[in-house]
Amino acid sequence: MASKYHQSAQANAQAQLVQWINDAGLSEGTKRANLLRKIMEVMIHQAPQTIPMYIENVLSFVSDKSTDVKKQVVAFIEELSKQFPEYLPKIIGQLQMLVIDSVIAVQKRAIQAASIAYRNVLIWLCKSNAEIQEMQHVWEHLNKLKLLILNMIDSENEGIRTHSIKFLEEVVLLQSSSEDTEDEFSLDKLPAHLPFLKRHALEEEADGEFALDKLPAHLPFLKRHALEEEAEHIFQLLLKFHNSQHISSVNLMACMTTLCLLAKLRPKFMPRVVQALGDLHTTLPPTLSQSQVNSVRKHLKMLLLNLIKHPSSNDMLPNLTQLLADIGMTPQEINKAVPKDRRNKRVNEIKGDDNPAKRFRIDSPQSNSQGSDSNSRSEFNYEDDSSQHSISISKASVTEDSIFDGLNNIDCVVNLIMSTLQNHLPTTMPSNFVTAYKPIPNSGTKTQKKSLAKMILALIKDEPMPTTPTLTPNPTLTPTPTVNPTPIQPPLLSDTTTKIPLLRDDDEKVTLKNAVAKLQESAKAEREMESAVSKLMEETRQEHIKAEERKTKEKEKLVAPPTPSIPKLKQKVKLLKLQELTRPIPKDIKEKLMLQAVERILRAEQDCIIGGAEQIRSKFITIFASSYTSDIRELVLNYILEDPVKRIDLALSWLYEEYSIMQGFNRHPLTLKNINDKYDQNYNQLLCSLITQVCERGDPLMENSKDLLMRKIYLESPVVTEEAIDYLKHLVSEEKMALLALDLLEELCLMRPPRAHKYVASLVTHVLSDNEEIREVALKSSLKVYKNSTDSARRVIEKSALLHLGFITLSTPPEIISPQHARVWTDEQYKMCLNLVIALFPEKEGKYLILEVARVYGSAGAEAKRCVLRALEGPVRAAATPPTAQATPPAPPTLRPAFRLLLDECPRGAETLLTRFVHILTEKSPPTPELVSKVRELYATRVSDVRFLIPVLTGLTKKEILAALPKLIKLNPAVVREVFNKLLGLQNSPDEEPPVSPQDLLVELHLIDPSKADLKYIIKATAICFAEKNTYTQDVLSAVLQRLAEEREIPVLMMRSVLQALTLHPTLAPLATHILSLLIEKEVWRHKVAWEGWVKCCERLQALGSSGVVPLLAALPPPALASLPASLQQLAMEPQAGNPIEPLPPGMD
Amino acid sequence: MNRSMEAHAFLVKKGFKVKSYGTGEKVKLPGISADRPNCYEFGVPYDDIYNDLLEKDKAYYTQNGLLHMLDRNRRIKPYPEKFQVSAERFDVIITCEERVYDQVIEWFGSRRSVYNQPVHVINLDIQDNHEEATIGAFLISDMVTKMAQSDDLDNDIDELLHDFEAKCQRPILNCIMFY
Repeated sequence: MASKYHQSAQANAQAQLVQWINDAGLSEGTKRANLLRKIMEVMIHQAPQTIPMYIENVLSFVSDKSTDVKKQVVAFIEELSKQFPEYLPKIIGQLQMLVIDSVIAVQKRAIQAASIAYRNVLIWLCKSNAEIQEMQHVWEHLNKLKLLILNMIDSENEGIRTHSIKFLEEVVLLQSSSEDTEDEFSLDKLPAHLPFLKRHALEEEADGEFALDKLPAHLPFLKRHALEEEAEHIFQLLLKFHNSQHISSVNLMACMTTLCLLAKLRPKFMPRVVQALGDLHTTLPPTLSQSQVNSVRKHLKMLLLNLIKHPSSNDMLPNLTQLLADIGMTPQEINKAVPKDRRNKRVNEIKGDDNPAKRFRIDSPQSNSQGSDSNSRSEFNYEDDSSQHSISISKASVTEDSIFDGLNNIDCVVNLIMSTLQNHLPTTMPSNFVTAYKPIPNSGTKTQKKSLAKMILALIKDEPMPTTPTLTPNPTLTPTPTVNPTPIQPPLLSDTTTKIPLLRDDDEKVTLKNAVAKLQESAKAEREMESAVSKLMEETRQEHIKAEERKTKEKEKLVAPPTPSIPKLKQKVKLLKLQELTRPIPKDIKEKLMLQAVERILRAEQDCIIGGAEQIRSKFITIFASSYTSDIRELVLNYILEDPVKRIDLALSWLYEEYSIMQGFNRHPLTLKNINDKYDQNYNQLLCSLITQVCERGDPLMENSKDLLMRKIYLESPVVTEEAIDYLKHLVSEEKMALLALDLLEELCLMRPPRAHKYVASLVTHVLSDNEEIREVALKSSLKVYKNSTDSARRVIEKSALLHLGFITLSTPPEIISPQHARVWTDEQYKMCLNLVIALFPEKEGKYLILEVARVYGSAGAEAKRCVLRALEGPVRAAATPPTAQATPPAPPTLRPAFRLLLDECPRGAETLLTRFVHILTEKSPPTPELVSKVRELYATRVSDVRFLIPVLTGLTKKEILAALPKLIKLNPAVVREVFNKLLGLQNSPDEEPPVSPQDLLVELHLIDPSKADLKYIIKATAICFAEKNTYTQDVLSAVLQRLAEEREIPVLMMRSVLQALTLHPTLAPLATHILSLLIEKEVWRHKVAWEGWVKCCERLQALGSSGVVPLLAALPPPALASLPASLQQLAMEPQAGNPIEPLPPGMD
Repeated sequence: MNRSMEAHAFLVKKGFKVKSYGTGEKVKLPGISADRPNCYEFGVPYDDIYNDLLEKDKAYYTQNGLLHMLDRNRRIKPYPEKFQVSAERFDVIITCEERVYDQVIEWFGSRRSVYNQPVHVINLDIQDNHEEATIGAFLISDMVTKMAQSDDLDNDIDELLHDFEAKCQRPILNCIMFY
């Protein structure tokens, strides 16, 4: 049952698999990747039997477009190599392809997988019994793969470098033997208190899925030696990479970690790793930023602490503690970090550090090896006798440390110096010594001794000439009693041979084991030297020499020219990297070179034109100028100013470049960061210096084209900064440039509308200038801008117009206008303040300004008012005349909105202004009904002055006019005359009907209640009427008189008027007679004044020889007769013949 | 529990796949006096911690914001987790304190890498209080967003962090470790 179930499940899985594979073929991208993941899962974990069937299907996706899919394939390969290494022959090729994929993410994933596959391949090679050809095939592929990745350590991409470091770590680990760790301590003895030593991790390592000694012998292509050699090689490569100057911080740390891991797991690397870390600490790559340096230091500390805790670091403990102390840890901290079982011993050393005479190293590898290892001791003994022979042998064992120890022994040093003085000093001082020698600043210190040791070592190792004296310190190392202050050891070390690994004490065991390790190592080294592989040694040695030489040179502070050292090409995988071969040029030289280069480019103007590279050249120049030091900027600027007319385009393109940097369109050049913090000021600086230089250089050549240049700079630069505008403002005050500056300002406003409001302010201020010419130009320009520019610019102008206007309300003129002490307003100054607003007011947009004018007027002083009235007259008049009047007369005359507004709002105190306006408005044309109604309204509510009505009189109704009449006639005679002119329509075109007929007017005058207006005024008024002979013709007068006569009450002035009419038109006599008779009916004698007039009239009539007088007199009743003057009484007595009343003259009825 | 969770909440909202961990031996919360902190094992639910503190001194822990913080935390995930026992593999690990950074590095340093998969460990110092935690969360979010925008983080990280450091004016530590 179970198996059946199993089978069906298998079948299901398979069906599902097929389904998915088909789906994957049809889908794309992420979906395909997801399907692949499922496929992989099922294939590997559920139905491994399907792998051979479908493996090709999955692998075929290796060249898929999608990154995800490819990564999935990598994962599949990785998993297969682990679980089913038998498929390795199939997949290894694909992996190789993926490692060189075009997508970096895939490459990285593939490298990652490769390190796992590498291990799996080796295990498979050991265990599998596959065919040899197949194995060889896989191995060859793997080797190619390795080579590929090895080369990637120089990749451009940091991530790939990181991954390849990790891969190489794996390779080194796999290909180096761990035997020395294995027999040194067993897992069972692992200290339990050290959490970082994970037993299982080590177990894995030890049981090792793979170890070099398990390499099967039957595979001809797998050679243990070759592998080990290769590992050594790669390790050196890693070391080199680690110490390279241009490594990124992340990779540096990755590399450090890797090296430390190697050191822990393969103790034979330990000394070199510690050395490398020490070197790193003193010379960090210069490219790192501060925080990266911090990260790296921190990492270094962490790694060193880790190392120090690791048992295999025993030998290097002093170096490590020293390094930690260098990093800044206190002895206490270091002491705490050292594992307990080793601590006690160390304390003394750390304390004794500063005593150079004391033996620094207690159990350094060399001293130990010499103590325990007869072989090396014999070497040294041998040297004592005849060093000539020993060199080749001792090379292997003499180290810097041993020499250093020697240098700590005073006797030894004295011997060395003495022998050198006696035997090896040239008789004369070499010239290069004279020049190069500098006193050693830190002589006697530990570092100096160390470097000295290094130099001596280099000498010993590399120069085959007899250097016996330099070796003399060595023998002092040999005496064992001085080696160790701890009392137990010396006898043990010298007596117990390495053959007996059993030891009593942990401490001793460790030291001894180390000694054994050393022995083995040196033995190995010898073997290697003898073997054919010595080539490799040669190579490393060469490199070592180079490194030492370099170090020595640096130490001696020789000014070495930057000579690129060419590394050996023999090395399999070395790529030449410029960065590593060359040394950075010092900054000042770099800058100088740069400057010269730019100079050359600048000088090549003609050549470039001929060669057609003009544009490229100018591009170059702009980039140089904008992105580098101020020296270059200056250079280019001067170049431009040499011939600005020709080179203005270059200047402009530079300006544009600066502008794009300032605006962030262009990436900001890194080179500028350090030089100038305020790099966003560059644009402004450049612009300003161009302008000022053009203006002020006083170059005759430039003088002529100044105008053109300034115009070009201001109008064509990408943006005009405030400073540039300020400069322009300043120019206005300079006589020669003023007009140009104003002109430029105007053009700026017009041509650069978005910023016009900024520029225009500078322009407008000059409207108040005390130079008339400037004032005029500024005014004109402002007006032009006002008409054509943007709203915001307009607002600025308006604002300053109002500001100026506001000045007039001040009791003294503001400083802007009259800087002198005598601060008294003059008409001229008032006018200046008004100039702008008056200029604007007629514009369509400025109409509302009039309201402001009125407001200010209201609160201004009398003098100011007068000036305003006078100043406004012209423009208002101009505005009042509708421009369309001639063209299209039928258009109904409407009130301009500004006036309407003004009338609506009439600010307090501005009534007189208003009156003046209304006057002007009605001067040329009759008032519109609208105006009339506004005025009427105002008259009713606000302005009580009847004069206000005068302009619109003709628009008022008869009743209104008549109501106002008594007040009107009281005014000043000139005004009254004008009123009458208006009323009588004297100024109007003849076809217009005056609102009040002359007749009515005169009648009304007579009817005015004398209590309202003094008779005197009425008389004067009638006199005006009578004076208008053209209007008040005989006919009119007679009609008037007739109507007056018909009044119930006799008007006071009636008789006077009759008399006057009679004087003017004697032909009116009959009418007069008639009136007189009418008056009789009204008992005229009862009114004293009228009666006097009546009598006078009679007399006049009589004098005129009228015949109607007598009947009149006759008609008088006796009481009236009695009051007649004598002459008339007499006349009345005469008998009358005929009609008592004369017939009316013709046309009078 | 404060800074990391603040950032955790913030990053989750932005759609990042994120987890938060402690690195210490225990979950430590300030107690009534400085020498007697409240300690809990990892894995004890936030709910329980919340209730425990509620019982101990509701007013005090409300006032110092602990309850509020726990309340927020329990809405993000059930219980505090310990980094060193997590089996997950991340692309980026962000720590808010140098001590924690050290612990993370130490942990990585103590084990062999199996997968050789790189992880960027980044430290951004954030003071342990509510305001700084909020600011820190913003900074972290900024930084992570920048990272997410990079096509090739391994290649860009140096420069990216350098720029970011200049921007946020805080020292940043970083290194690369391997799973």
